[in-house]
Amino acid sequence: MAKKIEITNNIRKLRFFANEMTQQELAEKAGVSRQTIIAVEAGKYSPSLELAFRIAEAFGVPIGEVFDYAVIKA
Amino acid sequence: MSYQEKRTIVMIVTGVMVLAAYCIYAFGQVQAGMVAAGDLKYWARTMLIFIGIGIAATIVIQIIFHILLSITTAISKKIQDPNFDEKEIEKTIELEMVEDEMHKLIELKSTRISFFITGIGFVFGLLSLLLDYPAEVMLNIMFISASLGSLVEGFTQLYFYRRGIQNG
Repeated sequence: MAKKIEITNNIRKLRFFANEMTQQELAEKAGVSRQTIIAVEAGKYSPSLELAFRIAEAFGVPIGEVFDYAVIKA
Repeated sequence: MSYQEKRTIVMIVTGVMVLAAYCIYAFGQVQAGMVAAGDLKYWARTMLIFIGIGIAATIVIQIIFHILLSITTAISKKIQDPNFDEKEIEKTIELEMVEDEMHKLIELKSTRISFFITGIGFVFGLLSLLLDYPAEVMLNIMFISASLGSLVEGFTQLYFYRRGIQNG
């Protein structure tokens, strides 16, 4: 059976380093609603691969710098 | 509270009002002795009328909701920054109403639950016929379960907006 993984992200940190980019600005750049960015940042929603790339592009960094994962021990 | 949550609450309130109005009118007529037993035409007519009322009420209330939302957004933005121009206000309102992949996923999962409840109602409706209840009982079970299904759909959407949703 496949191991469960937990997806984490560094969006808050990246927003801070992007001159304190607001969630609304990131939402506009990624083409989604602010609520979706809030949910992704809080780990309440795992975005599609396409949205994950768009978020990474908004920060100008590789996707691996935005999202990471950890294997959950059973 | 986000635009989607507000819109869902408005839809739930509309649904509750229409269902309550149906129950009060339809069963009130029965209690007043205005409906003969087995008068399926009465039930078909009443249900069709209330389906129409439900659609019309949803459209009208959604229009009013969007007008009020636009006004309140414009006022709050003007209070925050008096130099905020019309185009920026329009852009803010448009951005609030964006429907993206998360909203579609929430809609998909909640619609599935709604269909499930409607399906259970259909089965119970058929069971009522097997248990020799009159046909109007079956019709009412189906109508009410479909209405309840759409209410539960709204509550499920609110739940997912609050708790979050994961793919898979």
